[in-house]
Amino acid sequence: MSDAFWQSVDLSTFWEYRQVLLAGLWFNVYVFACSATVALAVGLAAALLRVNRSWPFRWIGTVHVELFRNAPDYIMVVWVHFVLPLLLGALIGRRLEIHPFVSAVIALGFVYSGYFAETFRAGIQAIPVGHVEAARACGMADRLILRRIILPQVVRRMLPEAVNQFVSLFKATTIVSLIAVPDLMYQVSMVIATEMRPLPLYTGAALTYFAVIYFVATGVRLLSERWRNKIYA
Amino acid sequence: MDVMPAIRVVDLRKNFGALEVLKGVSFDVHTGSVVSMIGASGSGKSTLLRCINFLETPSSGDIFIDGEPMGFRSDASGQRRLRPLSEVNLMRRELGMVFQQFNLWPHMTVLGNVIEAPIRVRGMSRKQAVALGEECLARVHLSEKAREYPARLSGGQQQRVAIARALAIQPKAMLFDEPTSSLDPELTDEVLSVMRELAGDGTTMIVVTHEMAFAREVSDRVLFLHNGLIEEEGPPEQVLGAPKSERCRQFLSKYLH
Repeated sequence: MSDAFWQSVDLSTFWEYRQVLLAGLWFNVYVFACSATVALAVGLAAALLRVNRSWPFRWIGTVHVELFRNAPDYIMVVWVHFVLPLLLGALIGRRLEIHPFVSAVIALGFVYSGYFAETFRAGIQAIPVGHVEAARACGMADRLILRRIILPQVVRRMLPEAVNQFVSLFKATTIVSLIAVPDLMYQVSMVIATEMRPLPLYTGAALTYFAVIYFVATGVRLLSERWRNKIYA
Repeated sequence: MDVMPAIRVVDLRKNFGALEVLKGVSFDVHTGSVVSMIGASGSGKSTLLRCINFLETPSSGDIFIDGEPMGFRSDASGQRRLRPLSEVNLMRRELGMVFQQFNLWPHMTVLGNVIEAPIRVRGMSRKQAVALGEECLARVHLSEKAREYPARLSGGQQQRVAIARALAIQPKAMLFDEPTSSLDPELTDEVLSVMRELAGDGTTMIVVTHEMAFAREVSDRVLFLHNGLIEEEGPPEQVLGAPKSERCRQFLSKYLH
């Protein structure tokens, strides 16, 4: 085996910097948690627009979905961080700056809201209209029906698909190092700059991401399966 | 003395676009009585039932539940206006509806389905609602299934849960929209026997049905609908036994032979 091979699998340097790197990984988790919240909230709002009875609402929802689903997350992160403050600043006539963490959350949150909107929409449309009529016939108001009858079923139905999107979103958090959010990749680059040993550090980062995503996603799938499947015969 | 009917329908009309489904239907349902609606598919019976609790908005006409206008009311200038949804929802609690497809909420247990509206709509405490829910499940003979999920029940059991759910809102009348039409014949009887018991208890009921034997046995009145109009109405022995209208005779001949 060549030296390069052994170098790339010798993770001692990675382990040596574990504290700095772990702090970086936590940043990935923070960015993930915040942008997932934004994506879910905005995605649900967009989905409700998409299934609205009146066309102007549906149209706004569709524009939202197509705009963000078709925007590369890399470009969006850069655009929100560098271009958006210039545009907003020009509008209000003041210099604006957005904190890198906030830019990352907005960019990823909105890009993924496009995907979540479609998942929510498919989930909502899969609910038989009879379930809603039965609730109406009992005198339930629309908001109550959404909260008690529709969403609990939608969540169960969309969970497998949503887990895949959460995985993509978590992977996408690795690009926030571009705008200097101190995540794992950012810390890895910093360590590489001092240690000059990119192979083991990149390998370590890859393995870490893989392990985190694999175990969390598998755990969520396993734990939610029984709960989800109660609704099916 | 004129007794206020539990449900009064006056000149009810409903269009879907150019299609006129109900062309002016009027009838009364007195408290404690059972009215069956029969007729071919497309005759407007389901639409009529759905108009009564405003799942469909009538194009014109009036519906009174215990004398109170459902859906519409007159404003100060005497103009007829659609009631706000919140008022329609209040009125809907007075009518329990049972659907052909059961429409149980699959993510809730049987008891959860039954106590949902008492808690969220009637504002009962959980404890009160559970007591009421258990009582309603006992009336449909499903007390032992309270903790099951609907997916684990047979069609007949699901429909009985749906009946318990409708009873739990403590309505003034029950509306049944072809409650046995999506059941296998051997499951039909368990649902009909529960409905027979309800009728025996003096529950006010409107039943859209194709079960002629049931209609004859349980109903106080039978309405035969044809093309959006009541073609014939009267006591079951008359409408089902000796119909005056030719169309009603033709319709019934398909069921009796």
